[in-house]
Amino acid sequence: MNRLDSILLKVFLYGLPGVVALAVFLYPYRLGIDAAGHVKLLYNFAGFIFACWMMLSIHLSVRLMVSGPFRDKALAKLTFIRERDEREAALTGKAAKTTFLTSLAILIFLFCLSSFQVSIYRVPPEKAVNGQTGVVSLDLGFNLLERSRQAKPDDAIQKKDIFSYTGLPVSSTTVILVLILWQIISYNYSMRRLTKCMEGNGPR
Amino acid sequence: MSKCLPQLKIINRLHVLRAEHRITQEQLAKEVGVTRATIVAIERGGYNPSLELAFRLARYFQTDIKSIFSVEEENK
Repeated sequence: MNRLDSILLKVFLYGLPGVVALAVFLYPYRLGIDAAGHVKLLYNFAGFIFACWMMLSIHLSVRLMVSGPFRDKALAKLTFIRERDEREAALTGKAAKTTFLTSLAILIFLFCLSSFQVSIYRVPPEKAVNGQTGVVSLDLGFNLLERSRQAKPDDAIQKKDIFSYTGLPVSSTTVILVLILWQIISYNYSMRRLTKCMEGNGPR
Repeated sequence: MSKCLPQLKIINRLHVLRAEHRITQEQLAKEVGVTRATIVAIERGGYNPSLELAFRLARYFQTDIKSIFSVEEENK
């Protein structure tokens, strides 16, 4: 990690509470059309600070992707990875494997949940097929790009929904955040469990 | 991993040697460049050290690896 990265990382981390404090402090002063001069000035200043902090966060996230030493140093601190000797390095490997495989399992599960669509509904008697008014509709939806859902032609049929599931009810940001937290928690839990096993129970 | 091979149990006399040399786990860990937890894990048989660490331990106690570590076959 070079000196500039180290300084920028510190600015980013120490700036985070500042940005939050600024947002909280400015919340009561809603910016209206007829806002007072000093409120506008304060908003502009806060906007500038936030823009700088955003640029910094993008720069650092790109550096994390492209720079190995920076990633090793910064993310190791963030995730509490300790490799002081060969035993800890071996445990880190095992914990990382567990985390990787459980994350993969979660991703596969989420992929299934996001692509499967189930709908159970009733149609009016005049639309009944073979006298059956209850309909179970199964679908596999996969879109490469996010787009707003459009009403399907059969949605025009007057139907009474009994059960409808059309993919994950959470946003992609939530999924990403949950996965980040999962990675950190899973790694540390595995590490603690392995350490306890190695130190307390003898050979496995 | 092959299921045909018998499980080997590596036993060590590290705690005996340490007692003979009157040094603490902390001191030994510092001498061979590992953490105390690693010495604890080796002594309890929970962790088998690398060949490099085994040689370092042997060098520290001025003996050979065989007098510290030995193998016992386990029938599982």
